[in-house]
Amino acid sequence: MAEDLVLDTAIRDWVLIPLSVVMVLIGILRYFVSKLMLSSPSPDAKILKEGQVIIRARNLKAGANFIPLRSFRSRRLYFSNEENGLLHVPKGQGTNPQAQMFSDPNMAMDMMKKNLSMIIPQTLTFAWVNFFFSGFVAAKIPFPLTQRFRSMLQNGIDLSTVDVSYVSSRSWYFLNLFGLRGLFSLILGDENAIDDTQRMMQMGGLGFDASKNLGAEKDGLDMIQHDWALPRFEQRAESVLRKLVK
Amino acid sequence: MGSSEKRSKDVMSDIPTFSGENLQKNLKVIQNSRTFLSIIAGVLAGIIGFNGLTGFVFYFVVMLITSVGLMAKAGFSADLYFDSWNRVLFDGFLGGLMSFVLFWTFAYDLVHIF
Repeated sequence: MAEDLVLDTAIRDWVLIPLSVVMVLIGILRYFVSKLMLSSPSPDAKILKEGQVIIRARNLKAGANFIPLRSFRSRRLYFSNEENGLLHVPKGQGTNPQAQMFSDPNMAMDMMKKNLSMIIPQTLTFAWVNFFFSGFVAAKIPFPLTQRFRSMLQNGIDLSTVDVSYVSSRSWYFLNLFGLRGLFSLILGDENAIDDTQRMMQMGGLGFDASKNLGAEKDGLDMIQHDWALPRFEQRAESVLRKLVK
Repeated sequence: MGSSEKRSKDVMSDIPTFSGENLQKNLKVIQNSRTFLSIIAGVLAGIIGFNGLTGFVFYFVVMLITSVGLMAKAGFSADLYFDSWNRVLFDGFLGGLMSFVLFWTFAYDLVHIF
């Protein structure tokens, strides 16, 4: 490896530390702002009902083996009866919730607010970094990288003989962006921590397509083999008592 | 962590029943410990001055120590507290990597370059 560059202490004082501090503070600020701006959406009765039905069906599936066979069957019939069973949704109504979600102004506003609160601080910080902190070596990454990364990491530095480990402040910004997620999850309590990247991944699936959920629950219920566990509990009690007595 | 790991599974019955809330709490505990330790490992690696591959090896060593520590805390019977062994051992390995690299770079630069 080439000789070690000695960098000015002023860079450390005025670039690295302020940038990290600013990013941490912006993250905390964003967290509090999102908490303040949280407009509680007025719940839609139909979607809420379907959600509760699904929860009931799941409870039935979980506790199926603790009730006698006939009770289980009668409950299951209540859910999956062809005519007025709760889980049976005629085909026409299936796609409603999703269409509703797109056209409902409240939902759209919420999505947009979340998007903006995520994108604007990032863009602003990035522009600030580019404007003030470009054109010099900011940090050295402790591990070697190949030459392909040179254009990505060293964008402000025009010398091509400098080792790729010496990066510009733009890459320090990106490193902070990804690395501070863990710190936020420790500082800000356990929720709302993994803001940007996870939310971006969640934007894809809009959650609640109710008809598929209901159909899946119905199939799950139909598939259960009932195996009543209570008769075995006598033996279980016996074994527990034996252990206690020994 | 203290006494914050709660039993989430009742192994006495034939049918394993989970307490969802306790399970999630235990997973949170694992995640927090790993994140915290990866940050500390990063600072240590930077101060000691690891270079290149040695640093990553150090990170994995610390993660393994974390796994062993968590297993010891759970009394070596992960079945009581989690739904599968893999969660205790391998969950969050790579999640802490970015934080580790950040703090490693930071400490290394502060100590060695400037």
